[in-house]
Amino acid sequence: MTGFDFSRLLHFWSQRWPDILGLIVEHIAVVAISLLIAMVVGVGIGMLVWNRPIPRSVVIAAAGVALTIPSLAMLALLIPTFGLGWTPTVIALVMYSLLPIVRNTVVGLREVPPAVMESATGMGMNQFSVLLRIQLPIAWPIILTGVRVAAQLTIGIAAIAAYVAGPGLGSYIFQGLSSLGSVNALNFALTGTLGVVILALLVDALFVTITRYTTSRGLRA
Amino acid sequence: MTGQATGDMAVSYSRQPSVRGRFFTAKRFVTPVLVVLVLGILLLWLSSLQLDSIERRTLNIDYIINRTREHLGLTIVASALVAVLAIPLGIALSRTRSKVVRGIVLGVANVGQATPAVGVIILLAIVWQTGYTTALMALVIYSFLPVLRNTLIGLQQVDESVRESARGMGMTPNQVLLHVELPLAVPVILAGLRTSLVFCVGVATIATFINAGGLGDMIVNGLKLQRYPVLITGAVLVACIALLIDWVAGIAEDLLRPRGT
Repeated sequence: MTGFDFSRLLHFWSQRWPDILGLIVEHIAVVAISLLIAMVVGVGIGMLVWNRPIPRSVVIAAAGVALTIPSLAMLALLIPTFGLGWTPTVIALVMYSLLPIVRNTVVGLREVPPAVMESATGMGMNQFSVLLRIQLPIAWPIILTGVRVAAQLTIGIAAIAAYVAGPGLGSYIFQGLSSLGSVNALNFALTGTLGVVILALLVDALFVTITRYTTSRGLRA
Repeated sequence: MTGQATGDMAVSYSRQPSVRGRFFTAKRFVTPVLVVLVLGILLLWLSSLQLDSIERRTLNIDYIINRTREHLGLTIVASALVAVLAIPLGIALSRTRSKVVRGIVLGVANVGQATPAVGVIILLAIVWQTGYTTALMALVIYSFLPVLRNTLIGLQQVDESVRESARGMGMTPNQVLLHVELPLAVPVILAGLRTSLVFCVGVATIATFINAGGLGDMIVNGLKLQRYPVLITGAVLVACIALLIDWVAGIAEDLLRPRGT
């Protein structure tokens, strides 16, 4: 039971600003690393399976299973093999990111009109260059939407990873819990939670810009 | 802008509905078979281990059943509360013509989606108290928004011309709601409920941090005492429960969907 005092919170922030900034940078770093890995793996898998019905449904079902597993359980399962800290956090975040990314890649690649692909083949492109130079650019906005969903998911899940000594703002949330009853308990937990929320909203806004500037010029609305 | 991403998030939890008429497909049985297989392997592995006294205190049937009961209790009570509270509120909100109210609700829903569950649960514990009631509150708050949002969106996406034809047939606004709009919105609402159920299993796991029991206890104890068999048993059980609940919800989704949609 702690009362809330806004001036105290401001004081708390000004005192611990470097600390908080460090945690924010860590949080962004772990999410960015995980998303990059997930993007390479996810888009790669998507490109391999998009036109093969059975591998496609197997991959998407497996990624769905991964997403259904609660995050604390997933982290716990990784600890005996990978220890504590960054490694299990990044692996867990990659696993959670795979479903939105793989699924959107598959959907995006399949939504390219057959006529477009036929004209590309007619111009002498082989299947691989059709995939790389025609389908991928057209599917790109959809793939990015998947990455964006994954970003929202992982920013939140990274907060729980602090329990297994993972990096980021989650450590402030847990510090709030462990100092329950002390003056700064609420400040710690509030700073961690608000930081995660603001980060998630900013990253989401950032994705609008990224989508705009990485979409092939002819496809921009 | 956030609407797009979170909209996809809701979809990402629900998988393709099966084709009507082919209810018992092979796919239908993948989840339970997988769960039984995993549990079987876990049991075999555990029986091959020499457990010490600390491990034996938690790895026994009574303890596991009690924790599972707490876990399921939290999940189901919270989901039922959410269904009873959020769906009527969503229907009521969809009746207002005011764009501002809807905008605010959807905006709050999006910010809520970005809020980490662990933050919500720990903040509540700090400002209020630790224990079961707080955990239940956190679960309800956390899964309230997806259901509310899906109810609103489900009712909104009903085609305007469908509504008009219903009115043209002489239906009152209430009849239109009851016989046309709601049945058409049911799949979206059910998808929201399914998402919230799966969320609840996950959040109930971290309820252990604030002393509210559940299978998270096993994970945390296993971690703190460096007893990996305990940790893994807890994690595997939670994962199996999440998968089974998602599976049951998927079946319910197929059965409850009105015919013709």
